Amino acid sequence: MTRSNIALLVLLAVVASLPLFGGAYALRLGTMACMYAILALSWNVVGGFAGYPSFATAAFFGFGAYTTGVLLGKGLPLWLGVVIAAVAALLMSAVLGAALLRLRGHYFAIASLSLVEVLRELVNNATDLTGGGMGLNIPLVSGSGVLAEAMFFFYAMWILLLLTALMVMAVAGSKLGFGLACIRQNETASSMVGLNTTLYKSIAFGLSACFVSAAGGVYAAWVHYIDPSDVFDILYSVKPIVMALMGGLGSPLGVACGAFLYLGLEEVVWRNYIQFHSGVLGLIIVLLLLFLPHGLISLRPANLWRKAKHV
Amino acid sequence: MNKSWVFRYARLAVPLWAAVVACVASNASAEDVIRFGAPLPITGPLAPEAIKQQQGYDLWAEEANKAGGISVGGKKYKVEIVYADYQSNTPRAVQATEQMITQGNVNFMFGAFGSGAAKAASTVSEKYKVPTLAATASSVQVYDQGYKYLFGTFTPNDTLTTPLTQIIKAKVPEVKKVAILARNDLFPLAIAQEMEKSAKANGFDLVYFEKYAIGTLDHSAALSQIKSLAPQWIFVTGYINDLLLVRKQMVDQEMKAPVVTMIAGPAYQEFIESGGKTAENITSASWWHPAERYDGKDIFGSTENFVKLFKAKYKSEPDYGQASAALCGALFQMAIEKAGSLDRDKVRDELARLDAVTFFGPVRFGANGQINSLDPPVFQIQGAKPVVLFPEAIKQGDLKVGVN
Amino acid sequence: MHAAQILVNAVVLGCLYACIAIGFSLVWGVLNVINLIHGSFIVLGAYLAFGLYNALHISPWYSIAVAAPLFFVLGYLLQRLLLNRVITAPVLVTLTMTFGLDLILNNAMIYFFKADYRKLTLTPSLGSVSIFDVVVPVDRLIATVAALALTGLLYLLLRRSRVGRAIVAVRLDRDAAVLMGVDVKSIYAIAFGLGAALAGCAGVLMALIFPISPLTSSGYLGKAFVVCVLGGLGSVSGALAGGLLLALVEGIGSTFFGPAHATTLSFILLIIFLILRPQGLLGRKGFE
Repeated sequence: MTRSNIALLVLLAVVASLPLFGGAYALRLGTMACMYAILALSWNVVGGFAGYPSFATAAFFGFGAYTTGVLLGKGLPLWLGVVIAAVAALLMSAVLGAALLRLRGHYFAIASLSLVEVLRELVNNATDLTGGGMGLNIPLVSGSGVLAEAMFFFYAMWILLLLTALMVMAVAGSKLGFGLACIRQNETASSMVGLNTTLYKSIAFGLSACFVSAAGGVYAAWVHYIDPSDVFDILYSVKPIVMALMGGLGSPLGVACGAFLYLGLEEVVWRNYIQFHSGVLGLIIVLLLLFLPHGLISLRPANLWRKAKHV
Repeated sequence: MNKSWVFRYARLAVPLWAAVVACVASNASAEDVIRFGAPLPITGPLAPEAIKQQQGYDLWAEEANKAGGISVGGKKYKVEIVYADYQSNTPRAVQATEQMITQGNVNFMFGAFGSGAAKAASTVSEKYKVPTLAATASSVQVYDQGYKYLFGTFTPNDTLTTPLTQIIKAKVPEVKKVAILARNDLFPLAIAQEMEKSAKANGFDLVYFEKYAIGTLDHSAALSQIKSLAPQWIFVTGYINDLLLVRKQMVDQEMKAPVVTMIAGPAYQEFIESGGKTAENITSASWWHPAERYDGKDIFGSTENFVKLFKAKYKSEPDYGQASAALCGALFQMAIEKAGSLDRDKVRDELARLDAVTFFGPVRFGANGQINSLDPPVFQIQGAKPVVLFPEAIKQGDLKVGVN
Repeated sequence: MHAAQILVNAVVLGCLYACIAIGFSLVWGVLNVINLIHGSFIVLGAYLAFGLYNALHISPWYSIAVAAPLFFVLGYLLQRLLLNRVITAPVLVTLTMTFGLDLILNNAMIYFFKADYRKLTLTPSLGSVSIFDVVVPVDRLIATVAALALTGLLYLLLRRSRVGRAIVAVRLDRDAAVLMGVDVKSIYAIAFGLGAALAGCAGVLMALIFPISPLTSSGYLGKAFVVCVLGGLGSVSGALAGGLLLALVEGIGSTFFGPAHATTLSFILLIIFLILRPQGLLGRKGFE
């Protein structure tokens, strides 16, 4: 276990202590923070490790939300709905991945983006099953009090985050992670030396989908009402990328920190600039890319010093 | 060495944690002010609606404060409206509602825009037992959750389509075939489905019923197909941009029909202005109309007075969205003054018990919290003005047949 | 007759789509940047036409002449000052950069122009012409002709002028172009400026046809994406072919499966194209 992995686990443990400090609204933010971190860490598997610019996060998120939402409506318990959503997303994305991951660069980006559009429109038009544009109402899971419910969903999301983090660490330390790094550096060469790149990429795509889908499921139960334009929102694809860029591409600890920092920024900006928050967010993105292209992780004192020496 | 990396990461974590805690820290409230929370979709696809809502709330707040504020047990309280942008995104609306209640120190809530967001946000305000008035939620499903603190000023969707269908059936016997084109979105689709039921119940032949995706740029294919089916009644739902585009493309394709109905655009002044001649004889229905004449007991008094005040402030004609938002403020004021207290439960009970005439019409809430005392007007654009056809009491003219 | 009408609708709409996409395609092809500000540029162009017509009664036909240089300068500066700094970074960075810029521009438009929909209504209106029961609206017809003219101009510029040859050279082989003495940074800025100018002109034309609001920008951007992939990147005639194909698929899909499925179909077609024919209808392989 590397230092940064231990640090990540410590960070998660700190997050788990949130209910000791805050009330229901803090828990809501904590739940969002965990959700963002799940999305960002999952994206990191395919985007950071393998270097494929995937915009499919929103597709899997919406897929999970709707799968779980429909199953809950049929009377299934939440945990089962979430597990089914995760497994279904894993299978679906692995198969889709085999086809889509043959594309590279912009072409892959666009194909993954289109996946969001296609799934959204399919859900939109399956009015009988999903309610279409009228949205889907999801029965309340627990009838308990404000705080108890907030606590329940916070820990549900936190457990998912923990599982995601463990998965990402396992991948990073395994042969799969090594293979993905090879693919990122030079895919043609890796396949020439006998690496089954299609298999590796498909597994990575599948792993990046299943926890996102599960998070979508918990989210659906949490908000009680979903509609296609909300859960298939393209911002769910873009935000994890910004978070990963913020924290430092490829490093799980950096990505998780990026997710928390992003949520903090989003919340502060959203509260203080009612009319101009998305513009301010855009400004932050632009400045970040111009002045801190390698993310927070590059802010280590050692790096700054090294930079100074070069100058 | 080992200590130093722990320290390094800890240093990274501290500002993050500080940011979270800073977010959560609450701010103090001023005294002698009643705070109303209003989550609005200021950005995103519903942004045009947010402008209308805000105009309505602001007009009420201004009028209430001009009169010294709301009197509670002999003491005057100023009105303050706290806005938040939920980006046309339902979960954000829920979040904004919780943020306002737990940290914004609001006393009462206005509902989020539209049925979907209002319903989702009402789960939060119900949990905290905060009385909420939804200005723009019409679907019955919003109110069938057994909630005690949610009230709405729009009657169910079928109260719009049923009178319309009956008028058309009685006045235009040549109407046999009906075509419906609906935006695949909460309210437009719900009202189209009501129309479908209502058309079938009245023995019309439904020859076309299709949805179009949100953000559709071109309707020519759907319209050509409708044209080839030659229906006598074309019924289109959507928001104002969709309806302007559909209307323009209908003219482009030289489509004519005895009756063309559009919901919800023609209620807006912009539709008449932008549509120009092509808006003539289009029928529509909405929950309120400036031509109504009610003598209210609320702060605005008569409908005429409300229209006058609105025109003075915004230089345009109010429509049902703005009126309903202003009404929600006025209703809160009535209930609070009657309760003589800012106690949420007492105000809630007064709202439930409310039975008064307002500039918007008679207001009484059913057991589920939805208003059940209004007859929404059916109207038609005639001579660049909306003319009320129904209800009889405020009728201004007769249905004209033929949309070219 | 109905079939003929659908076909004519599709051809006219296809030219509009090409007009929307062509600047986007140029930037993507030459700079290898997916320019997410494109949609907001189009909307800004539409506001320009709207403002000029309503305030000064300048007809949109003349507004094109105003929009083209204005947007060229805007695009040129944006590229020179901001995008050129990250142009060598991976795909993800340039994409996210334009995303951030788009958030700023779009939010600014919502703030200054308000989000509600405007409509540029010409008085007197242009009406429609009909030939054997097939109706074509005149404004769309003119926009189609203008779109074709713009496309033709760009084609000529790329083929005949020195700058145009340099742009094509950079697109074909950046390194070789550098060796031949082409100032790549300035060519990038010129190409981006051209892309912006085309977007601005497209916006002026769209103002005649569609309601105007900052909220419509993502719709334009989405169409540009699909058209580019279908037609082939960076190729002028490709944008035209892609636009026509997309409009045809939407028209036929809408007629047979209902309008709600038209979008789904177009994106499924896009994915199929990406997998089977990533170079598009008219693109040549190996230009990636």
